[in-house]
Amino acid sequence: MEILSALGHGFAVALQPINLMACFFGVFIGTLVGVLPGIGPVSAMALLLPVTLSGSPEAGIIMMAGIYYGSMYGGSTTSILVNIPGEAASVITCLDGHQMAKNGRAGPALGIAAIGSFVAGTFAIVALMLVAPWLAKFAIAFGPPEYFSLMVLGLTVLAFLTQGSMAKSLLMACVGVTLGLVGIDQITAAPRLTFDRLELLDGVGLIPVVMGLFGVAEILANIERSVQREVVSARIGSLWPTLQDWAYSKWAIARGTILGFFLGILPGGGAVISSFASYALERRLSKRPEMFGKGAIEGVAGPEAANNSAAGGAFIPLLTLGIPPNVVMALLLGAFIIHGIQPGPLLITQNPGIFWGIVASMYIGNIMLLILNFPLIGMWVQVLKVPYKLLFPLILMFCIVGVFSSGSAVFDVFVMTVFGLIGYLMRKFGYEPAPLVLAFVLGPMVENNLRKSLILSQGDFSVFIERPISLACLIVAAAMILAPLLPVLRAKREAVALDQE
Amino acid sequence: MLRNAQLWGGLFWLAFGLFIAFQGYELGLGQAREPGSGFAIFWLGLMMAAFATSIVFSAIKNGSEDIASLWRDTRWPKVLLIIVMLLVFGFLFETIGFVICSLVLLLVLMRVVDPVPWPTALLVSFGATFGMWYCLNKLLMIQLPNGWLSPWLG
Repeated sequence: MEILSALGHGFAVALQPINLMACFFGVFIGTLVGVLPGIGPVSAMALLLPVTLSGSPEAGIIMMAGIYYGSMYGGSTTSILVNIPGEAASVITCLDGHQMAKNGRAGPALGIAAIGSFVAGTFAIVALMLVAPWLAKFAIAFGPPEYFSLMVLGLTVLAFLTQGSMAKSLLMACVGVTLGLVGIDQITAAPRLTFDRLELLDGVGLIPVVMGLFGVAEILANIERSVQREVVSARIGSLWPTLQDWAYSKWAIARGTILGFFLGILPGGGAVISSFASYALERRLSKRPEMFGKGAIEGVAGPEAANNSAAGGAFIPLLTLGIPPNVVMALLLGAFIIHGIQPGPLLITQNPGIFWGIVASMYIGNIMLLILNFPLIGMWVQVLKVPYKLLFPLILMFCIVGVFSSGSAVFDVFVMTVFGLIGYLMRKFGYEPAPLVLAFVLGPMVENNLRKSLILSQGDFSVFIERPISLACLIVAAAMILAPLLPVLRAKREAVALDQE
Repeated sequence: MLRNAQLWGGLFWLAFGLFIAFQGYELGLGQAREPGSGFAIFWLGLMMAAFATSIVFSAIKNGSEDIASLWRDTRWPKVLLIIVMLLVFGFLFETIGFVICSLVLLLVLMRVVDPVPWPTALLVSFGATFGMWYCLNKLLMIQLPNGWLSPWLG
């Protein structure tokens, strides 16, 4: 009853015209960036972060959240029609979605993706609503050692699940934490790694770093190769799946929804991992595994449900613990901090309007997305036909303007350019940017909690192993770091990485 | 061996890690009961050096692709051009102003990097530049440098 009353309050917030507009704008932009290859939710959120400054915190955060779960819907469209994923979580949808499109079944593929996304998105919101308040009460007991260990675990899980060498991923996490420590030390007020540059006293900006590593680097990588996109030109036809399609898809959606939600909650997990895991699960359980890769509708339904459910689940660690489980949530954390709000165990009690407003807006946003993705599918197909050579100069321009307007400093444009080059070289040499960005956001929190723990324990490092939650997190983190040394676990990890490729 | 891409990558990060560790040491490590400003930075530097060392050893043991092969059959001069354009944009942005810089940047990108017909390039460049300027300056009240066009743009 208490939850329903709180949800009612949330709807009162979310249905205010400005918040409703913010929600629509967010899911619309989310669908657009999901549809467009070359720009993902991370770049779009970084770009629009400064815009949230001019409105209320509720409107800004509702918009940012809308971009994220909206992009999960939109990503499937490009995967199915062009065989190029709009964003990383839809990579796996290419396999069967595009095959269905080539077989003249683009309509049911798009339809089941939208329906699966809607079901999973709605489930994730209900689960978020039920789990978050309970977890927040539990998290109040967390002290600095628990927070430190949990963040170490999050970074390790992300490094473990990132494709390629684990040493490279952990190295990137260390670089990210170090980058996050640039600027004035919060405890001693000493400038650190600023090299006498006044611009660095406040630290390196999140927006220029993210825009460089994801926006500019992506453009440079795309420009390097001349890629021709071929949109399936046949008529899309009816979007409604047949009874046979439903029979194949219903359990795939159910399994993808539950799997995605739990993988979304895990620190370091998220939409990408969950879609791959769901695909592997469906292929294993299917009575017709030979159809996978040739147009099996359950190969579209399961992963699409999983990535949308994970997008909802990912809000839980951020809203209840204040720890972003992935890069997108790290940006959302940035939006909270810009508005002077600290997400964490006290968010629900101290800012119920924001928490329940976000939850309610997600219900509304999901319905908006269903409308945007069902009747308006033709419009997104037209968007897909815009050639990349027209698109990339505009994306680059948006990056510059977004970065400049975030701090009114040309220095940030240089930072973005440098990180664009670094991101491009990182891709070339096989280093992943995601652990770097997540660690960059978590860096100051990691250090702060480490120092607080040591000060409180009088320099006794055993404080991290004397507390059960902290100990459990560190054991799991250590196991993951050591996993590549064990042949069985290394093979498992490489299989995941291979699947991702 | 000397063309091993992963070896060079690892050596770069090894040097970077050691540099960071040195910077942390310079800042002061403090004591465990009261860690100094450089405590975390020093240990992060050492961890970076350790991971980089493992990358270097792996590159020596297993070998890796030739560094030149990373850019073989690619349009790398276009990548370089974009980087140079962004740097030039940054240097001239405040002096010349948003409108002129953006117009030139968009036109160069659309005519030189991946050419589109002149009419399309002009239409998109002018439309996007003035559209963005209007949205930011007039609607969102975000000040962009007007530079040489200050007398006309206000």
